Amino acid sequence: MGFNSDYFWECLRSGIIYIPNTIKLVFISLLTGFIFGTIIALIRVYKVPVINKVLAIFVTVYQGVPIVVALLLYNLLFMLEFNNLAKFLNLSKTVKDVDNIWVGIFALTLTAICSMSEVIRGALLSIDKGQDEAGYSVGLTKVQTIRRIIVPQMVPVAIPMMINNIVGLIKASSVVMAIGITEIAAGAIIPGSRTYSFFEGYAAAALIYWTFTVLIEYLAGRLRKHTGKFKRSSYD
Amino acid sequence: MGELFKWDRFFENIPKIVPYLSVTFAIVIFATVLGVLLGIVIAFVNMKKIPVLHQFFKVYVSFMRGTPMLVQLMLVYYGLPVLIDSAFGTNINREWSAITFAYITFILNQGAFLSAIFYSAITSIPYGQTEAGLSVGLTEIQTFKRIILPQMVRVALPPFGSDLVGLFQNSSLVFLIGVTDIMGRAKTIGTATKHVLEAYVFVAIVYIIISLIVRGLFKYLNDKFEFGKARKTIMLDEI
Repeated sequence: MGFNSDYFWECLRSGIIYIPNTIKLVFISLLTGFIFGTIIALIRVYKVPVINKVLAIFVTVYQGVPIVVALLLYNLLFMLEFNNLAKFLNLSKTVKDVDNIWVGIFALTLTAICSMSEVIRGALLSIDKGQDEAGYSVGLTKVQTIRRIIVPQMVPVAIPMMINNIVGLIKASSVVMAIGITEIAAGAIIPGSRTYSFFEGYAAAALIYWTFTVLIEYLAGRLRKHTGKFKRSSYD
Repeated sequence: MGELFKWDRFFENIPKIVPYLSVTFAIVIFATVLGVLLGIVIAFVNMKKIPVLHQFFKVYVSFMRGTPMLVQLMLVYYGLPVLIDSAFGTNINREWSAITFAYITFILNQGAFLSAIFYSAITSIPYGQTEAGLSVGLTEIQTFKRIILPQMVRVALPPFGSDLVGLFQNSSLVFLIGVTDIMGRAKTIGTATKHVLEAYVFVAIVYIIISLIVRGLFKYLNDKFEFGKARKTIMLDEI
């Protein structure tokens, strides 16, 4: 026993091969999450009747469900019901034809929608109501006010929280190995399954994730400096 | 579709799953209490900038924040026996139960996250306040206890609340190393009866209720600690 470094490098290489899977999981979920999250945030901030309440309840309740529980639940429903659904929709596909990475993407997407909507809502609420009014008073339309006045101020507020979310989602994506999707963590332990020594594999996975998050946080720090620029010169 | 979800199976599962809530709560309580202690130690070291330890904890916190909980859990579960057994010739792999590894992981993880919360709460209070305290003749400890701490608690409370909600959710991962918490119990019900959907739905509901209670509690505490100071609080997800 002990830590075998040759073995560690083998695990590291194996984990790196599966980085595209993690990126696929995170990127698709983030993009969808961002689009729907923005819509939900706008509906909630501008208080569209009824839908506003429904979405508020949905977001609060859904954020209470651990991602691994949601994931296993969706995977189960997918396995049990996909064939019936495909038959109902006249699709010639069965459960075997569909890669279950899409179940992982679905679970991560719902999580991302909820967290993104909260980030964007928080950023929207951080901007004074007077700014909207000022926009209207100089004759801008609602859309113009949002685009030219609100969004540029939101970005520096939203970025730190957004980065936390992205990092959180990258970390959460490791959970999909519970339903047999091979991403970084599951990929890194493949060499280990021959000998039942998983320590090196998980150490390799940890190193890859760590590199990722440190890199993202470094880039975020630079981005924040860049987007916050206008604040310093507001009275020039 | 009729067979998929049955309410009588759902209600049958409740008494089978509820006792295992104690496992979930044990993990959360251990992790919070010992994690707070560890977090205080790390925050203290970072404040005082004690050489070597300060750099070590910086890397440690970055690692804990930068890697998935699942990977940390597995690292401790598979790694600790390798490290300790080869150093001391023990056999903790057999002797320790899986939940011990879960406790260790969650304490180490919470210590890192909580230290970041405490550290940013302390530094959010201007250093001038400490100087003011010292200038009127308070000792360093008195200044901290009477001036910094009461203000710090209010700043640290919202992120501490969302951290606790996250901790409850993360504790559901322990079934992956074979600990029978409520999620693990739902899985064993599944293997025994071939009907697991009802159990999963019940577990999801339990977690939703827990998170609503914790959020409600912290909202109440937050209002209580306002001290009449009108303040716009955005729940910053600093974690």
